[in-house]
Amino acid sequence: MPDVDVLVVGAGPAGSVAAWHAKQAAPELDVVLLERDRAVGAPVRCAEGVGDAGLREFANPDGANWTSRRISSVIFQAPDDTEVVLADCGLGWILDRTRFDAHLAAQAAATGVEVLVGAEATSMTRNGDDRWHVRVMERGNETVYQARVVIGADGVETMVGRWAGLDTRVPSRDMESCAQYVLQGIDFDPDAIYLQFSDAIAPGGYAWIFPKAVGVANVGLGLVALKTDGRNARQYLDAWVARRFPNGARTGYTVGGVIVHTTIKKTYTDGVMIAGDAAHMINPLSGGGINNAMKAGRLAGCTAAGAVREGDTSERRLSAYHKAWMDLLGEDHLKYYRIKQALEHVDDAFYNSLARTVNRIAPDKRTIGRVFTHALIRHPQLIPVAARFFV
Amino acid sequence: MRRVTPETIAVVDLAVCDRCGLCLPLCPPESIHLESNILTVNRESCTGCEKCVGPCPVGALSMVAYA
Repeated sequence: MPDVDVLVVGAGPAGSVAAWHAKQAAPELDVVLLERDRAVGAPVRCAEGVGDAGLREFANPDGANWTSRRISSVIFQAPDDTEVVLADCGLGWILDRTRFDAHLAAQAAATGVEVLVGAEATSMTRNGDDRWHVRVMERGNETVYQARVVIGADGVETMVGRWAGLDTRVPSRDMESCAQYVLQGIDFDPDAIYLQFSDAIAPGGYAWIFPKAVGVANVGLGLVALKTDGRNARQYLDAWVARRFPNGARTGYTVGGVIVHTTIKKTYTDGVMIAGDAAHMINPLSGGGINNAMKAGRLAGCTAAGAVREGDTSERRLSAYHKAWMDLLGEDHLKYYRIKQALEHVDDAFYNSLARTVNRIAPDKRTIGRVFTHALIRHPQLIPVAARFFV
Repeated sequence: MRRVTPETIAVVDLAVCDRCGLCLPLCPPESIHLESNILTVNRESCTGCEKCVGPCPVGALSMVAYA
């Protein structure tokens, strides 16, 4: 029975960074990183957009082979297709997740982490010896790993959390159902991302165009099923794509869930920490989760290293991880969640009207702050949104 | 866990299911499992609440009579 110090389940951004930082902080530890699929990074279930500043804390995108496109502007589209370009939306990147995730896993391997692909954790139990016994299926053979600390970075399914007795369930209203095509041969600004808000197109969420190259983009949408007319996400996407890009060639397709909630109440228990999508660490307003996952992974990895070194992997010791996450981003997500709730009452006519108002501001002065101020003056119904944000 | 026997329970059409895992955290009794790339619904613990059905991005989940 292999005995390891830190076992990380899931080699996405949270898991790879967790394993990498655990090993880096305590090189004497045995750290194992499990990936269920046959290749790290595939299948891609992601729109692949990420902010520049957060990304640079973990990897340098300049000249890297794991980026698809550098993004310099954000174009909001009202339900009636009126476009609003904001002046101060920061730089970002569209990643190639198959390569990016592999890059992070390779970073982990380079620090001495053992990376296992095609290795699926199927259950785990706590034994009296302060170890978790994790059953892992690998090429038809079952191995039971003993681990002092298990880091669950297993995404939306979040089985590690379930096995550890943590409540990782999510209410339907906070689950975005997403579908996305890779479309080729379409016309758009390849240096911008497009976000379109409309109850008719993506109720409760938004539709996006994220450039992968000139003429090639991830074109998708996320919606909340409770607000739909009964069609599923793929059917909504087909309707939108048929209208916007009837001649685009569909060369890829993916679906998935994005949890737009707040961090689970408890991300830790004896010998276990949960990170990334698995712990609902996604920005509930934007649906972005990659940088958050890496930041949480770093906190979890460093906490695991310290805890194992001190010989104390108790719930009490690992609670430091939860506190650090809440201080870093978790508390902010509670604010974003309030904004999201307020925006649920905004209708298509409001977005159309706001877009026209905002476009009267000079382009170089069209900042988020000014948009918000104008929105409050012209659209007093937004005042409760602002109030809830700052309360 | 005690439960009232539901009239209908969720079933998955594996020919349609994309294995995205979205439905797992939506299930209140945690009756949906994904292992070895196969999604299963535990018919003994499913309460028939239908919370998994609408959000499935591809419509792979539906309700059938519990019998």
